[in-house]
Amino acid sequence: MKKTLVVMAVVTSLFFCTGLFNGAQAQSKTPYKIGFIVPLTGYLSWLGEYMKKGAEVKVEMINRAGGVNGRPLELVSYDDQSLPETATRHAQRLISRDGVVAMMGTGTAVVSGAVSSVANKSKVPAVIQSGYALSDKETFTFNNAHPTDFAISRPMMYFQKKGISRVALLMPIGPLGELGSGIARKHAPTYKITLVGEEKFDVKAPDVTTQLAKLRTLNPQAIMAFTTGEPAALLARNMAQMGMNIPLVVSHGNATPGFLKLVAQTPGTVIVPSGKIMATETLADTDPVKKVVVEFSRAYQAKYGEPANYYSGQQADAVALIAEGLRVTKSDDPVKLRDAIENTKNFPGCNGVYNMSPTDHQGTRTEDMILLTIKDGKWAVLD
Amino acid sequence: MNEFSTLVQFFFSGLTSGSVYALIAVSLVIVYKVSLLICFAQGEFFVIGALTMVTLTSKGLPMPLAFACSVLISAAVGALVERFLIRPIRDASVGSLIVMTIAISLALRGLALLIWGKESKILPPFSAGKPIGVFGATLQPQVLWIIGITILVLLVIWLFFEKTTMGVAMRACAENRLGASLMGISTEKAAFLSWAWGSGIGALAGMAVAPLLFMQYSSGVMPMVKGFIAMSVGGLASIVGAVVAGYLLGVVEAYTIGLISSQFSDTIVFTLLIIVLIFKPSGLFGATRSREV
Amino acid sequence: MRRLGRYWWIILLLFIALYPPTLGGMSAYKSGVLIFVGIYIILAVSLDLLMGFAGQISVGHAAFFAIGAYVSGILTAKYGASPVLALIAGMALSGAVAWGVGRPVLALKEYYLAMATLALNEIIVTLIIGLQWLTGGASGLRDVPAFSVPGFSFDNHVHYYYLVWAMVLLVVGSSVAVARSPFGRTLIAIHSDETAAKTFGIDCARYKVRAYVLSACYASLAGSLFAHYMGFLAPDDFGVMTSINILVMLYLGGIGTIYGPALGAVFLKLLPEFTYQFQDYELLMNGIILIVVLVFMPRGLFGILTGIKERVFARSAR
Repeated sequence: MKKTLVVMAVVTSLFFCTGLFNGAQAQSKTPYKIGFIVPLTGYLSWLGEYMKKGAEVKVEMINRAGGVNGRPLELVSYDDQSLPETATRHAQRLISRDGVVAMMGTGTAVVSGAVSSVANKSKVPAVIQSGYALSDKETFTFNNAHPTDFAISRPMMYFQKKGISRVALLMPIGPLGELGSGIARKHAPTYKITLVGEEKFDVKAPDVTTQLAKLRTLNPQAIMAFTTGEPAALLARNMAQMGMNIPLVVSHGNATPGFLKLVAQTPGTVIVPSGKIMATETLADTDPVKKVVVEFSRAYQAKYGEPANYYSGQQADAVALIAEGLRVTKSDDPVKLRDAIENTKNFPGCNGVYNMSPTDHQGTRTEDMILLTIKDGKWAVLD
Repeated sequence: MNEFSTLVQFFFSGLTSGSVYALIAVSLVIVYKVSLLICFAQGEFFVIGALTMVTLTSKGLPMPLAFACSVLISAAVGALVERFLIRPIRDASVGSLIVMTIAISLALRGLALLIWGKESKILPPFSAGKPIGVFGATLQPQVLWIIGITILVLLVIWLFFEKTTMGVAMRACAENRLGASLMGISTEKAAFLSWAWGSGIGALAGMAVAPLLFMQYSSGVMPMVKGFIAMSVGGLASIVGAVVAGYLLGVVEAYTIGLISSQFSDTIVFTLLIIVLIFKPSGLFGATRSREV
Repeated sequence: MRRLGRYWWIILLLFIALYPPTLGGMSAYKSGVLIFVGIYIILAVSLDLLMGFAGQISVGHAAFFAIGAYVSGILTAKYGASPVLALIAGMALSGAVAWGVGRPVLALKEYYLAMATLALNEIIVTLIIGLQWLTGGASGLRDVPAFSVPGFSFDNHVHYYYLVWAMVLLVVGSSVAVARSPFGRTLIAIHSDETAAKTFGIDCARYKVRAYVLSACYASLAGSLFAHYMGFLAPDDFGVMTSINILVMLYLGGIGTIYGPALGAVFLKLLPEFTYQFQDYELLMNGIILIVVLVFMPRGLFGILTGIKERVFARSAR
């Protein structure tokens, strides 16, 4: 019995601690707070880093230009560790304690699912960036990343042009692979492509030559592997080891300096679908996104001493979309903000020109993507 | 590309993964053999070894020197961890000790994050050269290096534990703690050295396999779980058993992926593990002695 | 003081009951944190029954957490079943799985048992990912509805807070009762000396399996509560790391005391609410805090508390 008394005392004091701790923060009315949920630790932390830099640069650019409606933007960033439970807690904290007007970020489909669930329950708009496919019920969620649909049909478009018709799929076990596999099957007939076979692989496996050997017996002319980062680089390396000299298409998440470093020394053709931000110098002056892309790239280069990449551009677009929504509504009401973002029209960003509607919460088109490959250790435009 | 060369490629793939699992299993067994503790921080030594080597070679140190330095640094970290974190609570229950190793692994991973950042690093293979082709299948030369290093490690461990006074004393500690301490053998010193050995070999494993993988601060978790499996199939305290089980695991995995299903390969491998444990509770290579320990 | 000691639970109950309207300020964030704390208390206490009392180590407790969550999620989201029925179905399935694998697996000892339970956890997770048509696969299961009983829906976070904490009290209370019952004492006997227990004619395997089934059912309950609160399930939350976290809660709090693991769960789930602001230093901070607790409190948080209390009472008695 005495033991229990002590337990109670500690539990109580802990609860009081949280109460005090949470009560201490002051609410400042001036800035618009934007909640930002990113993977800063865990296996996708490198990605979170690019997202964070992109968001910071864009927020600085907007604030330097006088903010939105005379009020500055403020980022409140939390690390989701790529875990849905952690993301849920952060999303709740952002909404009910930090009082954000909108949320953005994520990067992985599972974290997007968790954040979207909270956003729709609490009726606060969330502009996410991942391969997460939105359902009709998720009226408060936007996904401004190029959807997997584009990233798969864009290379298929190129294959058709080049007369490549036999393609094998090598998909990671995980959300990206599931999505990629389904969409590839859907689009293949449109571009007269035969899918000769499909294998799965564990993204943490140290070797994938088994799957490659199996696929090789089917004589594919190209391999599509919807995977990001280290596993994508490992595939390229294993293919080089086996002397498989056919193009490897990986996910659009790979257009980063980090991935470039991983595969620069590997022979073979790696194709990465990406956005125009990766090829600023080749953009025509008439291109509607040129001004936005060039200005952002310049600011990014100035701040971080490295060229802007696909992820940072995508994140900057999320900031811009929220800022534009705030500018239009001139209010802190999340429902009105949602409506404003939903009605965004002809809005140029790094990922293309956004045209949102109640049925399209993504906004860009397949043609807004380009295909990259690696030449002499540098990104080069393939198509 | 005939059927046969595909089957050989499956084997090579298994050999490659297996070489990773086997070496890390050895480092787990070393610590277990002497201190009867399964160390959950072993994956971190794996990472620390590899990343230290990346840093040292990028600073221009020649490969062999960088290799030796990284092993020594990791061994020193392991020994310090034992001295200052494990020894103070060595009388606690085994469970508390395991939880302590989990806490240590968190702290070391956090430290690695601060030191080396988040992006993956590449370590070049120990020898340049084209993949080796046999019957139309290919194997990376680095795998031969790993196998060679594994054999060398086994030899050194054998020499140490069989031929040196200190080694024999450490073995005595594992077999009979009280008896060893009565005979004037310091169990403290034995545990200290076993941690140094364990983390040194863990680091060695990391360095040897790093050219096959991409290393970042959290890369140690997967190989460690596979190392646990190899270790228990091998009979916990048997070093040779752990090596054999490690390669077996790699090869079984590869053929499961190749011939049955790449989607359910892990389900099948883990089910096999449970079956092996149930029918052979002390592992495939478990000596009766180790069961008493 | 003594009287206070006897009626401590009334104060605790009052505190739990009054927290949201007073300190919590009905905030979704605070009740959210406490809902997760509550769910993990159930998990930790259920594992304590198995490990602390029956002495059977498990590094795969999240397997049952996952079964509960997914049975509830699938039945309610895809087939429109009543959440109460789904919760019971989850417990039944978890119990059945525990009963099925219990006898052969619990015959194993120590590290081998740990490996086998770890493998069980991995099998469940890989099945969830593999059976995509049923579970939503790695992409996750969406649109799990709020928990409801006929005539009332717990769609408000404060309502859900009360539901979860009612379950916490139920699980903790029944676990204490189980621990003090003849069944619990038999488990302790088996734990301390299985051979001796056998010579007394106790069917050890049967008792161990029963403890496993009970523990699995409680974990499944936690899973169901988790599913309805999250509204979205993904296998990432049920991996071996989750099992290890529950294990850490047990030893952090003090194994075999029921209250200790509960305390461990409170500590470990509240810790990130303070350390998240360290950003890149968070991992290191969490590790160091755990190390400090373990070095200075080898008997766990609960042990240190009872230690202090003994000293206080000894002084007041003098």
